[in-house]
Amino acid sequence: MERNGTGAIASLPKLGLGLGLRSLHFDQIIEQQPAIAWFEAISENFMDSGGRPRWAIRAIAEHYPVVLHGVSLSIGSTDPLNFPYLGKLKALAEEVKPAWVSDHLCWTGVQGINSHDLLPIPLTEETLSHVAARVHQVQDFLERPLILENPSTYLTFTQSTLTEPEFLRQLVEETGCGLLLDVNNVYVTCFNTDADPLAYLDSFPWSNVIQIHLAGHQHCGTHIIDTHDRAVEPAVWELYRLARSRSQGASTLLEWDGNIPSLAEYHAELLKAKQYMDENGKPMAIAEVSFNNKESVSTPVDFLVPEVMGNTIWEQK
Amino acid sequence: MKETSPSLQGLQSWMQNALIDPQQASREQIEGMVASSSRLNSSQRLAIYQRNYHIRLLKCMREQFPALCHALGADLFNDFARQYLQTYPSISYTLSDLGKRFPAYLEETRPDRQETSDKRESWIDFMVDLAQFERQLFVMFDAPGHEGKPFANLHSPDSCLKLQPCFALGDYRFPVAWYYHEVKQNNDPPFPPLQRSPIALIRKNYLTHTFSLTGVQYIFLQALSRGLKIEEAIAVAAREAAQPREQVYRSWAQAGSTRERWLEACFFIVGD
Ligand SMILES: [Fe+2]
Repeated sequence: MERNGTGAIASLPKLGLGLGLRSLHFDQIIEQQPAIAWFEAISENFMDSGGRPRWAIRAIAEHYPVVLHGVSLSIGSTDPLNFPYLGKLKALAEEVKPAWVSDHLCWTGVQGINSHDLLPIPLTEETLSHVAARVHQVQDFLERPLILENPSTYLTFTQSTLTEPEFLRQLVEETGCGLLLDVNNVYVTCFNTDADPLAYLDSFPWSNVIQIHLAGHQHCGTHIIDTHDRAVEPAVWELYRLARSRSQGASTLLEWDGNIPSLAEYHAELLKAKQYMDENGKPMAIAEVSFNNKESVSTPVDFLVPEVMGNTIWEQK
Repeated sequence: MKETSPSLQGLQSWMQNALIDPQQASREQIEGMVASSSRLNSSQRLAIYQRNYHIRLLKCMREQFPALCHALGADLFNDFARQYLQTYPSISYTLSDLGKRFPAYLEETRPDRQETSDKRESWIDFMVDLAQFERQLFVMFDAPGHEGKPFANLHSPDSCLKLQPCFALGDYRFPVAWYYHEVKQNNDPPFPPLQRSPIALIRKNYLTHTFSLTGVQYIFLQALSRGLKIEEAIAVAAREAAQPREQVYRSWAQAGSTRERWLEACFFIVGD
């Protein structure tokens, strides 16, 4: 049944601790080649680039392992798959030779429209067979396993009948795809959907987890927003301890997309992960964190838009 | 709505409409589709997505049009951008296309569009021109270029000169490039007066340079960008500007003049 599945997943490398590749760090990475194990690049920032971003990712991929992480595949959408998009993704992958290619279990729009948000899918048998068929198509087209990430969600649909871990377990069995487990998203989604994060992790299909995401979030009291703009919360580190052990050392990446700090500060936050690599992986108590009612935007995307003004010169004559 | 669950397709188009135009979703519909949680009801949960959709895309628009946002002020800019996104929601997988139709949208929705051009509000003309200029810069930033390859030099013969690939021309009614760079310097420039401003944009080492042009230079570069040779473009410029051909040639070729400056600025590559 699976075609590009588990065999391929098992052979994917363990990359250690990596950082998101952000344009404000390009020069420093290329010039100084700091000791960072690997980088995760947002596919859409590079696939159409004929300018500096494309040059930078080529230069960086010569010295570091890179993985491609997309936000526009829209695997759960009822629109047809966008093959011109997939063609560009495949061409980029041929150029930078990523260790793997990932995206999210979500939909981003229908009727040709893109909301540029990672929207939740109803967790039903209907959605499952729809998504599974599309994962097969994508894997066949890209000729590599697809790695899918659990998104942060803020609502559940009345028609949902499956939990997210159950949905992913069946999807993995059906397609052999890999999983990117975002432990911050687990925390956020579980809070927002009245679920228990430990029970979520207990029922997760660990065999196919090849990457873990860490990120910061904002607690608004009645809900949590996945902001990627600050340090990782203690409770999320505790989930990481468990995930790292259950996934047998899956590659770990810290996401940071808003208020992006210096590379040194970003790397220092990532290296805290070493404190949570216990053998037995038992989480300490998962405490509720303090909250703040001022709401920031979820999964900011403005970092996807290049800062053009800094690259312009007015030749007065 | 409660009795039969909508199809996946029905659910997705319903939710998308509710994001783009929050007024469209009735409370009954929302309650039928979205479960409540222990802390939030269905509408409050959907509202998180509705708010984020607008906040996120408006922020991207402000970053794609920083000078226009400065000129209008963030509130008015947001109003225009919100209406724009409702009329033309994103249809691309990339956010780089988000502002693509914005200059045209500003032109087609101007309240004085029925008037003849002399009766139109000049600040709207300025706004449209500035939006076009900012879009052009945005495109130049990531367009295919000539970095890493040799440019033509002072010894390259005229007959071989060809415009480099990352090149664009603009003919504006206002000094938009001046205005843009004043904003970049954190100055607070006044609305500039009407003043025809032809410009050339070229990218070198991933930096986009803007050059102001004379009317004749603009015609000349336009001819080159249509694929004409230097000599032919000089003839076209002389004819259209009603100047003697020798005069146009001299201003191109003599020491310290256009040819030298543009070669040094990497306008040209050696064609085949
Ligand atoms: Fe993530």
